Amino acid sequence: MIKNILIEVGLIARFTARFFREVFKPQFEFSEFLRQCFYIGNKSFPLVAITAFIMGLVITMQSRPTLVEFGAQAWLPKMISVSLVREIAPVITALICAGKIGSGIGAELGSMKVTEQIDAMDVSGTNPYKFLVVTRVMATTLMIPILAILADGISLYGGYLGCNIHGVVSWDLFWNQVFDTLVFADIVPSILKTFFFGFIIGIIGCYQGFNSSKGTEGVGQSANSAVVISSLLVFIIDLLAVQITDALNLN
Amino acid sequence: MAEVDEHNTSFNSTESVISIKGLHKAFGDNKVINGFNFDLKRGENVVVLGKSGSGKSVLIKLIIGLMKPDQGTIEVLNDKVENLNTSQLDEMRVKVGFLFQSNALYDSMTIRENLEFPLRRHRKKNSKEDVNNLVMEALNNVGLPHTVDMMPSELSGGMRKRIALARTLILKPEIILYDEPTTGLDPITGKEISNLMLDIQKKYNTSSIIISHDINCVKIVANRIVMLIDGICYATGTYNELENSTDTRVKQFFE
Repeated sequence: MIKNILIEVGLIARFTARFFREVFKPQFEFSEFLRQCFYIGNKSFPLVAITAFIMGLVITMQSRPTLVEFGAQAWLPKMISVSLVREIAPVITALICAGKIGSGIGAELGSMKVTEQIDAMDVSGTNPYKFLVVTRVMATTLMIPILAILADGISLYGGYLGCNIHGVVSWDLFWNQVFDTLVFADIVPSILKTFFFGFIIGIIGCYQGFNSSKGTEGVGQSANSAVVISSLLVFIIDLLAVQITDALNLN
Repeated sequence: MAEVDEHNTSFNSTESVISIKGLHKAFGDNKVINGFNFDLKRGENVVVLGKSGSGKSVLIKLIIGLMKPDQGTIEVLNDKVENLNTSQLDEMRVKVGFLFQSNALYDSMTIRENLEFPLRRHRKKNSKEDVNNLVMEALNNVGLPHTVDMMPSELSGGMRKRIALARTLILKPEIILYDEPTTGLDPITGKEISNLMLDIQKKYNTSSIIISHDINCVKIVANRIVMLIDGICYATGTYNELENSTDTRVKQFFE
């Protein structure tokens, strides 16, 4: 069991090392990269936006009673802005993308693998790793931070509406409180970690798809493993990120 | 049969385009290729016959560099495959077409995009008009010009095979490796594909290795047949020579 896990970790590390070898080498598959950015960014945005809005609204509504008990409901915008921007919006965005994009990449590449389309690319003189993996990993690494930033804004808007369900907070007052509270140490680390989330979702999805076997059953397993492993790694990266920001006194 | 005899005996070239010496490949304890020697002459169609699991598909994947041999040498157009780096391998693959048993058409792309895919990488100087002309020429060669804007999923099995053949032909390869080109097709479509392979050989003077179980296809396309049994080149000869062989292991394929 442990041996198998270590072998898998080694294979993922080798697959990742190949990404860094290939990414700077010509030829650059720019049009495929843009196509993937569109697919990953544009097509994931509605799901990310709805989830972020609901999370912002729900967290605000659930936090309110506790703050009311201490007479501190005026602190609601401050409290939710920190929790949404630092933690909830980036992690929820990453988990949704792990589910939607990670499984999509795993299934697509897995299907291409078992139907010999990846071999066909290879024999037609095209480097399939560069065409399929590098473009997708670059796209997830770039687009997931953008989605997370949008999710920050949308979840805060959900929070604003949540504040106004049982109370009255003006638009200006809410946003003044949010921006007074949020500082460099809240925003930058939370955006930085989303680059790692994006990278890991892309690389795990591609690894699982590229190493798919056993026909259609294998394709299903690839999609499933892509979601499970990348979601787990998102939490591990989040844990490491909080340790680093804590060590740097940024919490 | 007279046509078959004429095709089987009409071949005289001496220049080797593929030369294999002492090839070995094993998967664990299963030695599928065990000292295989073989030469493919320019303009020749060679059919590799053997039982399922005898290593026929492995053989052509070794030739194209999709797998690495354990031992032995493979020379393709005077280049040793094992000595080629990635970019040299890509250059070699431009000259060697490969038709997959599953067709391996890119199912997220239209037929035009499927055919343009290798062109955009290896014929970068071609104008849009040149690319379009080459795509239409390849589709005309296989008799399917009207499918250019269709998706692979909209085509029948025989049509997909023809499109896969068109994609293989688009870079004008000198050698074509066919992996079971008529498997899964009805006898009439299978015969059409076999005749198409013969037309391609005549039109472009291509050399081909054809993996096939379909004896009708073998009869039509083979200048020479190689029997891959126990991982070695067990017997070789024209269709008529092997059909009349007294060796029971050879004869069973023709019964």
